[in-house]
Amino acid sequence: MRKYWEMMKSQIKVDMAYPLWYWASSVATVVQMLIIFAFWNAVYENRTTISDMSLEAMVTYTMIAVLLNDFVAGVGTQLANQVRDGSVSIELMRPYNLLDKLVALDLGFKISAVTRQTIPLLVIAYLFLGVSLPVSWEAALLFVLSAILGIFIGTQLDLILGIAAFWLDYIWGLRMLRGAILLFFTGALVPITMFPEWLRILSAYLPFQSMVFIPVSIYTGQLTGMAALQAMIIQVLWLAGIYAGIRVLWSYAIRRVTIFGG
Amino acid sequence: MIEVKNLSKHYKIVQKDPGLTGAIKSLFKRKYTTKKAVDEINFNIEDGEMVGYIGANGAGKSTTIKMLCGILTPSNGEITVNGIVPYKERKRNAKNIGAVFGQRTQLFWDIAVRESYELLKHIYEIPEEEFQASIAMFTEVLDLEPLMSVPVRQLSLGQKMRCELAAAFLHNPSIVYLDEPTIGLDVAVKVKIRQFIREMNRLRGTTVILTTHDMQDIEEICKRIIIIDEGKVLYDGSLQSIKERYGDKRIIHFELEREGEFQLPSSMADKVEWSYGDEGRVSISFSNHTITAADVISEMLQSYQIRDLTIADSKIETIVQDIYMRGI
Repeated sequence: MRKYWEMMKSQIKVDMAYPLWYWASSVATVVQMLIIFAFWNAVYENRTTISDMSLEAMVTYTMIAVLLNDFVAGVGTQLANQVRDGSVSIELMRPYNLLDKLVALDLGFKISAVTRQTIPLLVIAYLFLGVSLPVSWEAALLFVLSAILGIFIGTQLDLILGIAAFWLDYIWGLRMLRGAILLFFTGALVPITMFPEWLRILSAYLPFQSMVFIPVSIYTGQLTGMAALQAMIIQVLWLAGIYAGIRVLWSYAIRRVTIFGG
Repeated sequence: MIEVKNLSKHYKIVQKDPGLTGAIKSLFKRKYTTKKAVDEINFNIEDGEMVGYIGANGAGKSTTIKMLCGILTPSNGEITVNGIVPYKERKRNAKNIGAVFGQRTQLFWDIAVRESYELLKHIYEIPEEEFQASIAMFTEVLDLEPLMSVPVRQLSLGQKMRCELAAAFLHNPSIVYLDEPTIGLDVAVKVKIRQFIREMNRLRGTTVILTTHDMQDIEEICKRIIIIDEGKVLYDGSLQSIKERYGDKRIIHFELEREGEFQLPSSMADKVEWSYGDEGRVSISFSNHTITAADVISEMLQSYQIRDLTIADSKIETIVQDIYMRGI
């Protein structure tokens, strides 16, 4: 465990060395938040609620979702690049698990992003864009836990993209497809409660809503008490299942490299 | 100790017809050819040996090294490295080996060299005292002090290679594989690297397996060489004995004053081979056992005006070149 912890710390140090990048991506997120704000204000011009959500609830939901959505991506593309240029075989010579190493580096990156980017943006959103605080202390705590679970699910799921590169020469198409599916089914664009019934049912059987929709719904108070806990148990189950599935795929992928020479 | 028995590695290569139609055809029906990258090789390497593993490009060197590292599974045959079958217990094997691949970096690209080493300390679980002692020694022998705080991506090739080498030996592995560690480096850096490798072998008894195209590396580091060509072992034995077996051949290049017809002095007729280039250049090759270089020169001096001459040494380079071209 210690080695992965150290890798994570070293990634945080690297990120501290590149402050400019933060500014660029912070500005991009602020612009995105302004657009969302303007959009929903226009939509709500002639009405007070949509699917029982007030303007304030909707803005809060979408802003938190946008911020969280930046964290559910992972290092699949990085893994895919390593597979492509063959450096993955060098990594196999090290006494660590490559997937865990990549995830550790990614977590380091995300931790520095939260402290340096997300928290300031949350303050801006609260002060100027009408985002409300979590409904209760309990909700705030559950939101943090649920968001961490969601981020872990997203990070693990993303590794599939890298593993696919063992079989496919180009994963560009797959990446595009993933982007579209994620934006929609995680609930990052609009709350899943606004989907038509059949899509809502379909989405309930997919892991994607565990990544953004569940944590953000806990934040906004749409999921509380037992329902919130139940949703988090589902998150844990998804995480365990995806984690195990990825490891199985990974062992096949490694066998392929070691037999065919990558 | 490394034991390799009847080791083979075959690759299946997809045969594609040229052009777009070929590409489409190959989507439905694939033809494969088998390439024997490594074909039934055998060798044993004892603890503390320094072995040169040489061969032309594509001879199967890297494939063998990869199998020894455990990152390629053999098609046939057996390997054990310190009693471990590398491809079955890759991570356990990884703790005992170090490697430098001249073309790829293993250091962490964005962080300073010193921090890369700190990370390796945790990755290989090196005890603090041992780590400090190694760093102190490497810093001195490889002159790393000025590089320690520089991020890896800012290092020059020679600086990077020195750092890589230190990284490979940091966890005191019993075996180190060096795949072209001196490629593209200047003479001064090469000297430093060779010196470091010898020093590590002397102090720690590290087994070193070296692949290189620079025969000077081999001469200065290895006592034993294994020559491989088209996946088969051509020669396995001491550097000294290959020199004795093939190294008695010498060549003298003459530049003659007078151009035109060249007639070999009759006294040397049976003892040497010669070839005549243009503008009065003559190369005479002979064996040390039949005639000495001094005799050849004096015979030539009696018959011709000589402007210049050079004696080619019996370097391993010429021998290996000979073996690659003509076989053993």
